[in-house]
Amino acid sequence: MARIGVFVCHCGENISATVDCGKVADTIGKLKHVAYSTEYKYMCSDPGQTLIKDAIREHKLTGVVVSACSPRMHEPTFRKACAEGGLNPFLCEMANLREHCSWVHEKNELTTEKAIDIIRTQVEKVKLNSALQPIRVPVTKTSMVIGGGIAGIQAALDIANCGHKVVMVERSPSIGGHMSQLSETFPTLDCSQCILTPRMVEVAQHPNITLYTYAEVESVEGFIGNFKVKIRKKAKSLDEKACTGCGLCTTKCPQKKIPNEFEQGMGMRPAIYVPFPQAVPNRPVIDKEHCTYYIKGKCKVCEIVCPTKAIRFDQPDEILDLEIGAIVVSTGFDIKHADFFPEYGYGKYKDVIDGLQFERLASASGPTAGAILRPSDGQVPKNIVFIACAGSRDPAKGIAYCSKICCMYTAKHAMLYKHKVHEGNAHVFYMDIRSGGKNYDEFVRRAIEEDYVNYIRGRVSTVYERDGKLIVKGVDTLLGAQPVEIVADMVVLATAGVANPGAEELAQKLHVSYDSHKFFAEAHPKLKPVETNTAGIFLAGACQNPKDIPDSVSQASGAAVKVAALFSQNGLTREPLVAFVNRTAPPMYSTCVGCFLCQSVCPYQAIEREDFKTRDGKIIKTVAKINEGLCQGCGTCVALCRSKSIDLYGYSNNQVYAEVVALLNEF
Amino acid sequence: MDNLVKRAKELLENKTVQVVIGYEAGPTGVIRPAFITDPEKAGKLIYNDKCDQNLAVYLTKKEVKNFGKMAIVATLPVMRSIMMLISEQQLFAESIVVLGISADGNLLDIADINIMQGYIEKSDLSNPEKYKALLAELNKLNPEEKFAYWQKELSKCIKCYACRQACPMCYCTRCTVEVNQPQWIPVQANTHGNMEWHILRAMHLAGRCISCGECGRACPVGIPCHLLTMQLTDQVYTYFKVYAGTSDKMNSVLSTFEPNDKESFII
Repeated sequence: MARIGVFVCHCGENISATVDCGKVADTIGKLKHVAYSTEYKYMCSDPGQTLIKDAIREHKLTGVVVSACSPRMHEPTFRKACAEGGLNPFLCEMANLREHCSWVHEKNELTTEKAIDIIRTQVEKVKLNSALQPIRVPVTKTSMVIGGGIAGIQAALDIANCGHKVVMVERSPSIGGHMSQLSETFPTLDCSQCILTPRMVEVAQHPNITLYTYAEVESVEGFIGNFKVKIRKKAKSLDEKACTGCGLCTTKCPQKKIPNEFEQGMGMRPAIYVPFPQAVPNRPVIDKEHCTYYIKGKCKVCEIVCPTKAIRFDQPDEILDLEIGAIVVSTGFDIKHADFFPEYGYGKYKDVIDGLQFERLASASGPTAGAILRPSDGQVPKNIVFIACAGSRDPAKGIAYCSKICCMYTAKHAMLYKHKVHEGNAHVFYMDIRSGGKNYDEFVRRAIEEDYVNYIRGRVSTVYERDGKLIVKGVDTLLGAQPVEIVADMVVLATAGVANPGAEELAQKLHVSYDSHKFFAEAHPKLKPVETNTAGIFLAGACQNPKDIPDSVSQASGAAVKVAALFSQNGLTREPLVAFVNRTAPPMYSTCVGCFLCQSVCPYQAIEREDFKTRDGKIIKTVAKINEGLCQGCGTCVALCRSKSIDLYGYSNNQVYAEVVALLNEF
Repeated sequence: MDNLVKRAKELLENKTVQVVIGYEAGPTGVIRPAFITDPEKAGKLIYNDKCDQNLAVYLTKKEVKNFGKMAIVATLPVMRSIMMLISEQQLFAESIVVLGISADGNLLDIADINIMQGYIEKSDLSNPEKYKALLAELNKLNPEEKFAYWQKELSKCIKCYACRQACPMCYCTRCTVEVNQPQWIPVQANTHGNMEWHILRAMHLAGRCISCGECGRACPVGIPCHLLTMQLTDQVYTYFKVYAGTSDKMNSVLSTFEPNDKESFII
């Protein structure tokens, strides 16, 4: 005989403002099989939970219905409370009176009646719940970090220093990411390379880190603790063990006119190249798209000059199969490039550049060795205009968000310019100055007050060329929207930070969700900022949204702790809410007819084949079988199975039917 | 037809197959399915334009499979059924020999599945013309009229499940309607429950129906239930440009998860 306890939560006033919780508890208390029914202001609080635990013991409850909020947040809370009260946690159900009722209806009788109906369905369901036991799965204590920028480097080092193995996969020939391209960093103006390169070297030398550069994730299967990852190591056309990194090949390569990606197209590189002098690993790769040998079948100059005979033109791509326990995604961001700002002449006038190009101009290792020279004629610009929010916070351009880093780096750029061109004038057009952060606002004030950067609050409508000068037309909103026209030698656009190309494809490979801007989505905006919706996959850095270095590094350390915490256990327990294929007596064995359409519909590759054999090994029947470790309990196969041979623990056909019947019947 | 008999006799004589599934004329001249196991009786096999039953339904029946390797007289719908049955792992290509019949009634030389696939790909796979006209008439009705039409038609259903038994794609050993814990579909015939059954049957065949029309022909009370599945065939083609039963390796279009499935319908 079922003895169900119902606990109606007010959720402060979230529920009680529109639902008469007292009446709900009274009405439900009179239902058959409901042994106890009560209400409380905050059921999730400690006294609220104690109420449940005590009632379980006192009233010998066989099932609990907590009538409160969405199960997303607090189902684990109440399941745990039930377990502590001595009830199997899976005999606890939640009736969602908040999102499904109080928040969406006005205060009246009908709202209260709907709340009662919602609880009635759950009372009927919980009567059919079974006491489930958690599933134990092993954990492979090797993590994978995708992306070797500063976030990936930090996460990898932290995990490795906890004593766990890390595999780092980087798409380009060197780790370092965007940070390696930066000249100086705000708010201290210390050299980016100088603080980054020691970390890069540490990654390469760490005994717990295996580094794969020029490699991409091919596929990811499996689940938390047990991912099966395929990595494509693109052919570098080089025997890395034989190569000493002497660089002779890169100087002799006859193909020298390839726009240098690292220099943001402001310099040239050969077809066999090391992206930048401090690259890790400091070994060249051959860019097959531009290499004369790969295009025309003739050349091989690098092979001839190589003193250690390390060039391998016939090297194939290599596919590595790895067993991985946890994944940190730190693939970083990109900025908006040409064609996005026709009104600013970007892509049309050589002297309209983006922030990242300015970084390279200002960098001591850049194409101008750190001198600020405009790209068109190599002259020092006497008047320079920085335009903040180029694309960002512009819903008309499809980017409503703030790219966060631009206010600070624009101040830095203006400052660097003034430090190098003392007699020059720097103007900044801005919408708002967003300089929240330790020592950030002081930095911006320094730019304005000590370096005399001219900050103009207003937007720029157009940039056009006249007599070899760039005319910047804008408005000063602090002077009553007075039009401003500046004759500039160079314009720097703080273009919006956007998701990396390929982010969407990677998200789909990893089965993690992403937002409309293709940034990876966190599991909870406040309380789970480094987790994704897929267990065992964590986020670090600007792949989630544009972030500065301190934020990326902090988040990377956060992600590393999540990985370390996962690896600190010998096994994982998983919720037993998984699908199962029924089994019946021979000769049927199962009502499954083996069409395996469930196999193709399963997003988690959780469906396997099982053969029933005679004693001499002859196959009698082949049916589907669910891998409990892989199944996420989504129920797609249950809905698809035509013969209803698959059911879901915790959401069985019988339970759903009972809920429907409860609603259809008068009470 | 002489070719068909000759070929069937050959297959049985050299023991390539143990049974030939085809058509014969019954004592009153009515066309009925024939299961020929004796080469001497191969002469009973006929083929004419009255032979319209989809014989593929027998390929999954235990009683027929028990004979051994099967040869089957196969018109286009039968060939497409065979493709579906292989792709859904209910049949193995090596366990059958296809005696293909062309649209003009001649024996085709179908040596293997690839040749059959080539033949199917060259054929018109849309719904048969006579049904297209009926569907066009139905689609002129507004939703209320359509619902009233089907309510009237389906109220006649006596739940004999002939539509299910005649369909080669309804091969489950236990049908959903036989699940009684819980009993989602009522056992007795009433309009409401009849509609539940027919909607469910149509949904189970969405993207899988090969437009043979057998379900409608089998219905003893004349419900045009084949129009439900044929309408879905049209819809699947409109949205996915796919017809069922064109390859032995095809994934059912409505039951295949692809990582690049766009989730534009999720707000």
